[in-house]
Amino acid sequence: MTALHEPHIACHIEDLTVSYHEQPVLWDIDLDIPPGVMAAVVGPNGAGKSTLIKAVLGLVRPVAGHVRIFGEPVARARRRVGYVPQRQSVDWDFPATALDVVLMGLYGRLGWFRRPGRTERARAMTALAEVGLEDYAARQISQLSGGQQQRVFIARALVQEADLYFLDEPMAGVDAVTEAAIVTLLRRQRDAGRTVVVVHHDLQTVARYFDWLVMLNKRIIAQGPVSEVYTAENLRAAYGGQLALINALDLAGGGEARPGA
Amino acid sequence: MPELSHTLVTVALAAALMGTLAGVLGSFLVLRGQALLGDVISHAALPGVVLGFMVSGSRDFLSILLGALLAGGLAGLSVQWLRRGAGLKPDAALGVVLALFFAAGIVLYSQVQGRPGSAGLQVFLFGQAASVLRTDLMAMALVAALVLALVLALWKEFQFITFDAEAARAQGLPVSALETLLGVLVAVAIVLGLALAGVVLMVAMLIAPAVAARQWVDRLASMVLLAAGFGALAGVAGAVISAQAAGLATGPVMVLAASALVALSLLFAPGRGLLARLALRWRARRALHGRQVLAALHGLELDHANPDHRSEETMLDAYLGTRAAPQLERLAREGLIRRERHGPEGRIHWELTDAGRARLGAGAADSDRSGA
Amino acid sequence: MIEALFQSVPAMILLTGALVALASALPGTFLVLRGQAMASDAIAHAIVLGIVLAWMLSGARSGPLPVLGAALAGLASVVGAQLLARSRLMGNDAAIGLVFPAMFALGVLLINLNARNLHLDADTVLLGEIGFVWLHTVELAGYGVPVAMLTLGAVALVNAAFVGLLWKELKLSSFDPALAAALGFRPGLLGLALLALVSVTAVAAFDAVGVVLFLAFLIVPAVTGQLLCRGLAAMLGVAMLSGLASVGLGYGLALRWDVSIGGMMALCTGAGLGLALLASPRSGLVAVLLRRRALALEARVRVLLIHLAAHQGTPVEAEENTLEALEEHLRWPPDMAQAVVLAALDQGLIRRHAQRFELSETGQARATAWLRAEDRRRAMPPERVPAGTPGSDA
Repeated sequence: MTALHEPHIACHIEDLTVSYHEQPVLWDIDLDIPPGVMAAVVGPNGAGKSTLIKAVLGLVRPVAGHVRIFGEPVARARRRVGYVPQRQSVDWDFPATALDVVLMGLYGRLGWFRRPGRTERARAMTALAEVGLEDYAARQISQLSGGQQQRVFIARALVQEADLYFLDEPMAGVDAVTEAAIVTLLRRQRDAGRTVVVVHHDLQTVARYFDWLVMLNKRIIAQGPVSEVYTAENLRAAYGGQLALINALDLAGGGEARPGA
Repeated sequence: MPELSHTLVTVALAAALMGTLAGVLGSFLVLRGQALLGDVISHAALPGVVLGFMVSGSRDFLSILLGALLAGGLAGLSVQWLRRGAGLKPDAALGVVLALFFAAGIVLYSQVQGRPGSAGLQVFLFGQAASVLRTDLMAMALVAALVLALVLALWKEFQFITFDAEAARAQGLPVSALETLLGVLVAVAIVLGLALAGVVLMVAMLIAPAVAARQWVDRLASMVLLAAGFGALAGVAGAVISAQAAGLATGPVMVLAASALVALSLLFAPGRGLLARLALRWRARRALHGRQVLAALHGLELDHANPDHRSEETMLDAYLGTRAAPQLERLAREGLIRRERHGPEGRIHWELTDAGRARLGAGAADSDRSGA
Repeated sequence: MIEALFQSVPAMILLTGALVALASALPGTFLVLRGQAMASDAIAHAIVLGIVLAWMLSGARSGPLPVLGAALAGLASVVGAQLLARSRLMGNDAAIGLVFPAMFALGVLLINLNARNLHLDADTVLLGEIGFVWLHTVELAGYGVPVAMLTLGAVALVNAAFVGLLWKELKLSSFDPALAAALGFRPGLLGLALLALVSVTAVAAFDAVGVVLFLAFLIVPAVTGQLLCRGLAAMLGVAMLSGLASVGLGYGLALRWDVSIGGMMALCTGAGLGLALLASPRSGLVAVLLRRRALALEARVRVLLIHLAAHQGTPVEAEENTLEALEEHLRWPPDMAQAVVLAALDQGLIRRHAQRFELSETGQARATAWLRAEDRRRAMPPERVPAGTPGSDA
């Protein structure tokens, strides 16, 4: 019907504004995420990072602006987008096994009314194996540890075989081993040509894990390759003068601030 | 006829007492987010009412009151136990206790149906003004006075645990004991109102006056006082009106009166009320000057470092805090701005014309101060 | 044979009850999972207004119009409460507690005012009486079928179809509405549809058991299923079975004690819940008690080992590491001391050496490890876990 608008950009956001009870939560967001990057979205608490993801996915209605995924409106590009919400957004007491949860990632593909069958189960098992949880397929999710729950969520996203992934704080509250595993998983997706966007909570590891950076505090403070954007000046602008914090971060040019291979 | 007015006065007084008590205790319930607990205790009182009747063999107010209180208290404890001990979610615990206790009440009631005086128990379903006798009134007044005295005596403590239970506990207050006491007082308030409002509707008498009062005042003491007043008002109105027409149950009329108070408060309260907010919005729209709109457009241009930037209308509304459409039309007519459909969704955007820029430039210092 | 079935009053009653149980368990399971049990309380009361209004408009007391009126009223009560709560002028619970009583009050008032014309009694609406379902029958294929049964049967079928067709959609939207929305499954609409079905089921049930007893069938069996089961399908199955059992048990007891049949059936749903509370693998009383006892024993074994380790190899060993010393110095009653010693022996942590005990290699290792952990814990400053960190990893 309409021509594609900015098709070579994985996620194109223009003028996005979100209000909550007449208070601006996101203001005039112009954001372009190129395909094939592993991008981090950082900002202080209340910066609107989760809201940004939700607005992109259509879970929250913006007051102004538009979003295009690979040139198409989100409603049409749903198949190409995978979403991993925050772990605590869900009640883990729900009567479901790890496999059940991963299967849910395939529901979109099945569409209305159709039931998951053997093919779907096999794909879900493969995804569980990819995150190292194939032995836990029949385990109740209430009996999984935090890190295992997070990995189940990621498996659920992987099974969607999307081109663009949004993850909301996937590494919050998990141990170092799980965190490393998650980063490896995500890097593998990036290396396969997919785009990964992560709301990240830990400034210390941004430069190590990601190659693209978006700094957000209700407005876009800065966006671009990590090496260009991860500067003391931008951090100050985003985090509002928490100098001790910023000085503690290793901002030495080159060296550790290089994105991982 | 003196007989009639006597009954009427009795009923009105009873309703006033009950409404006052409900308003006071209901305030705490509402502030603690436990409105539905009031619903559960009310429904759960039914088996207690019937048992009280069975034990005393007559419609003895005191024994019924006691039975209702015990049942209500037991229900409250059951909810707590189901939540903490059995790990049920809050809504499930509430629903289970409400349904099962009420079912027990129905079963017991069917047992006593047919016994002399049992027809009088029906009043507890929807309330019946005429059911309150003079002797009841004395007992009610006594109990109500006791409850209010307790609330007054423990005012500071109740206030503390309502607003910050953690801090209260840290300061050594016996929070659990206080909460249990508050629960008991709520149960008493409910039980006192049952004959007039009935088990099903009593919850509204707890909540409505408190919610209505909240719209007008900000402090706990004022809210409780106002809720007491609203409760008494709704109670008396309901009791008196239903007493006039035979066949009208009291509970429904009281609840409608109380709901009317809520509706009026939601509409007319200064500040929070709907009309107040609409007026504010209307004033903001009127206060919006063309100059501000021009400045806003200019500011957005500077933000984007693009003199040809077009701003989406809804974004201008958010920027200016009000619907800018009327001003935008006017400015467009004066040729100071231009409208366009822009973007992949063809939404309405606005952009400054040269004339508009000139108008702004005329007060260049001002316009540069505003905007970005 | 079918003739006999329809002629037998008990069979009619039981069948009607069974249909209430089945029709309610289907939406009830999801309501409980979604934390909306009390929303059903609101719906159950609000539909009275819908029924009365439908009657006032059309004169129909049963049939599609009251059902529609009820569904709308039920939805209105929940949606109205949500809108009020969204205004932030009051909490969610207060909003619910305002809207449904007002609607119910209006309904009852309208009934009172039209008492003469409407063959509907406020008490019946609240209480129902399943014993009388056979009074209203309708001709169907030559048999006199109670109207209530027909309505309930139809509703049960609709509920089953809804849950059956939309099983995965309901599961997803109840577990993770954000993902459901992202995948395009309209969780909001599904939620409303679920509530509409609850309203419709309530209407169908009120003739038989009254609106409040219907609540028992909606909520209690579902909670029973949740306590006992680990899977969603099993939970629904148990809910249905529990409801059916309550109908049978309730009917029998009601006849025995000459009390309200509907009330007894509803009350018996509590019996199922009681059993589940005792037996639940996770939170059942029995399980909790056993677990608590095991933990206490573990803790005491630890104390024993540390005590033994502290005195082993010292001059006072002979008198300290005996059973009597345990009872005296650790202040353990004799049978507790015995139990602890036994447990430690079972686990191979200690050995008997005439009158005293000594640690085995395993016991020694464990005692050392514990002591070290204790020292470390006392030396470290208190850890602060950042708020909102959902449980660190194991």
